[in-house]
Amino acid sequence: MLRIVRTAVSRLPLEFRVLYRQFLMRVVDLESLSIDADVPAFLGQFAGLLILVSLGQAYGGLMVPPPPNRMWHIEQTDIALTMLVVGLVSVLTWENTFPDHRDAMVLGPLPVKPRMILIAKIAASAALLLFAVVCLNFASSIGWSLLFAASHGIAAFARFFAAFWITMIASGAFLYGSLLTIQGLTASVLPRRLFLRFSAVVQVVAFAVLFAVYFLAPYIETPADLAALRVHPALAASPVYWFFALFNQCNGSLPPDGLWLAHRAWIGLACAVAGATLSLLVCYRRTMRKTVEEPDLIPARRNLNSTPQIGGGLQSALLLFILRTLWRSRQHRVILALFYSIVFACLMNLVHLAPRIGSIIPITPDFPIITCWMMVFAVLGFRAISPLPISLTANWILRVTQLRPPQDYIAAVWRSTILLVVAPVWVAAAMLSFFYRPYFPAGAHLALLLLMGFILVDIALIGFHKVPFTCSILPGKKNFQFVFWVCLAAIVLLTLFVLTVEFPALQHPVQAVSMVGVFAAVAAGLRLFNRRRAQSAVLYFEEPPIEIITSLGL
Amino acid sequence: MLELRHISKHYSGIAAVDDVTFTARPGEVTGYLGPNGSGKSTTIKMVAGLIDRTNGQILFDGQPIESDLQAYKRRMGYVPEEPYLYHHLSGAEYLVMVAQLRNLPARESSERIDGMLRMLALYDDRHASISGYSKGMRQKVLIAAALLHNPDLVLLDEPFSGLDVGSALVLRSLIQELAARGKVMLFSSHELDTVERVCSHVVILHHGKVVADDSIERLRTMMALPTLEKIFSQLAVEHDTDTIARQFADLIHA
Repeated sequence: MLRIVRTAVSRLPLEFRVLYRQFLMRVVDLESLSIDADVPAFLGQFAGLLILVSLGQAYGGLMVPPPPNRMWHIEQTDIALTMLVVGLVSVLTWENTFPDHRDAMVLGPLPVKPRMILIAKIAASAALLLFAVVCLNFASSIGWSLLFAASHGIAAFARFFAAFWITMIASGAFLYGSLLTIQGLTASVLPRRLFLRFSAVVQVVAFAVLFAVYFLAPYIETPADLAALRVHPALAASPVYWFFALFNQCNGSLPPDGLWLAHRAWIGLACAVAGATLSLLVCYRRTMRKTVEEPDLIPARRNLNSTPQIGGGLQSALLLFILRTLWRSRQHRVILALFYSIVFACLMNLVHLAPRIGSIIPITPDFPIITCWMMVFAVLGFRAISPLPISLTANWILRVTQLRPPQDYIAAVWRSTILLVVAPVWVAAAMLSFFYRPYFPAGAHLALLLLMGFILVDIALIGFHKVPFTCSILPGKKNFQFVFWVCLAAIVLLTLFVLTVEFPALQHPVQAVSMVGVFAAVAAGLRLFNRRRAQSAVLYFEEPPIEIITSLGL
Repeated sequence: MLELRHISKHYSGIAAVDDVTFTARPGEVTGYLGPNGSGKSTTIKMVAGLIDRTNGQILFDGQPIESDLQAYKRRMGYVPEEPYLYHHLSGAEYLVMVAQLRNLPARESSERIDGMLRMLALYDDRHASISGYSKGMRQKVLIAAALLHNPDLVLLDEPFSGLDVGSALVLRSLIQELAARGKVMLFSSHELDTVERVCSHVVILHHGKVVADDSIERLRTMMALPTLEKIFSQLAVEHDTDTIARQFADLIHA
């Protein structure tokens, strides 16, 4: 088998193999990594996370088998999760489709056809997507197949297993192809600068849509749901239901009422693949030329003649630097969008829960829980991207102009974080609460939410003695699995806290005020702690070297 | 006055700069010359406070620069060798950021930035992102950023890199004008013709060591050589340049 694969690979054109290898290693953007970054370790942790989810699903399913009437729900959850992961990775690798300025400058003068570059790029991104799909489903596919075989006989195992993988790969290909089609069409139609602006918006919107669909879409639980005419528009609009029907078609378990959905999946898949191929072939050469002619970054609007002053000179400089980097740097924007799409999905959920304007409903646990999640993900997102450098070589200007003590810089970063992260979430929560919630519990929760924002920011900035985006990190060294599980634990604990402590307290003014007092004391304590530490801090722009102690063994 | 006393910088035990001592005085332009890898940029980075030295002392107006580094930075302007800038900002945004970080009054700095951008022919492109600038335009942004706060000490590391003829002539005159107004100018360049015209005093570095430190006129007289290029070739160029060129051409024809 291995020999067949090797023979097949060796028959591919040499230039394709060389380019594919190069692009595969660059699916993770090397410019955001420092010299010592460990890309395979970084990808390994990403894969490990997906494998853990898959193993968890399989183990849970086999240990506590779901009732047969839950199988549709599980199938839709798996398809939705696969589409979510494929969608997120596709959006993250969006910029890899077209050659960047460096590719164009290096490969442009070489006798390599643009078509070959395109194929190698798509193959590299597709390989990563396939890897993600396999990691996410390898254990759960076996687990669900075994469960299905237990009630339908051993022959059903193979059919379920094949149907599962056909569906997962088809749904992934559909989503990736659709995004490529959108990208190819817009690159063909729009001038490059507008295309870049459009790309930025599409990435952010795509994240929000993917999370909103995943978290908010209802499930079809029974054949009666599938046949109900009132849900047909929703079924027709969401690819999750199409591929759910496709899965059941392949598995031989689709009721006749769902056949039109399966057809829609096949047609959608064909359209996505054809659309991506045609649109990219049409626009690729033109885009490659434009990449050389025009800069990657969009210039600011020409009518921007005055720079706003927010606080002192240092505060203004850092706040605007952070804001502009977030808005203009693709890497930062995309990663932040990943977190903010969860915030957005939470916000949509709150809007969804809202009654008609003018009517007041009592405060329920979901409101404080969702707003707390929003705050946590907003702060986490900002903290996650803060160490990603924008241009390490340009940091000399910050060092040469460092005329004030480090604590001034650290304080300016704290204020900027409060202004850019905590304030927007709090204002959104306030707008959604004061319109239709009783004033006292809503006000008390908003006070707690604000203080929680302060506490989270102070925790996030402990030891962060640098200007955001000016110091290198080593993503390969970051333990994403650890971070993921810690975040999950924090969210669970926070939810439990809201349910068991905050929500009951909100019903009693004295308890609520006392709780606000405790939060205020914690927030003030943390602030004092960080300010004291900042007094002896050194602002750093390079990762502190690891201290190696060598034992002489004497 | 800028004084470097026995400055050394070692990387993994290898001396990039070795016992360098010289003085740059106000009112004169000190040329800092040397072949590639001789330690010029390393020295200038040490003077700018960007890297630490292994040994020696740097004094500005008689005070070690680290005695009050922030006060020293307020009086120092630096044009680095490479145009390292934040490419996602526009030229105007970058200069405003530098002015804010230097705590310059907003109105005054805004007028100064506008004036500089006009004089350097960058005004029409001031709102375009630096990523779209040519090398010369980026160099102009660096020069404007270095001079924005009217520094007393100006460190210029290859400031003519990428500049067109007109801008280079403006910069050459500007260097002389600033020196005439009493500023300390330390100027590193490979353009010996420009150095000969602009500098009153040169320091030549070779393998990290100072091999000449005098006025150009005195060096000419002492070494009985007509031009700075000849002096430099004798002191800092080890190979027969014609022979290397011939060998290179032979190699690609082989």
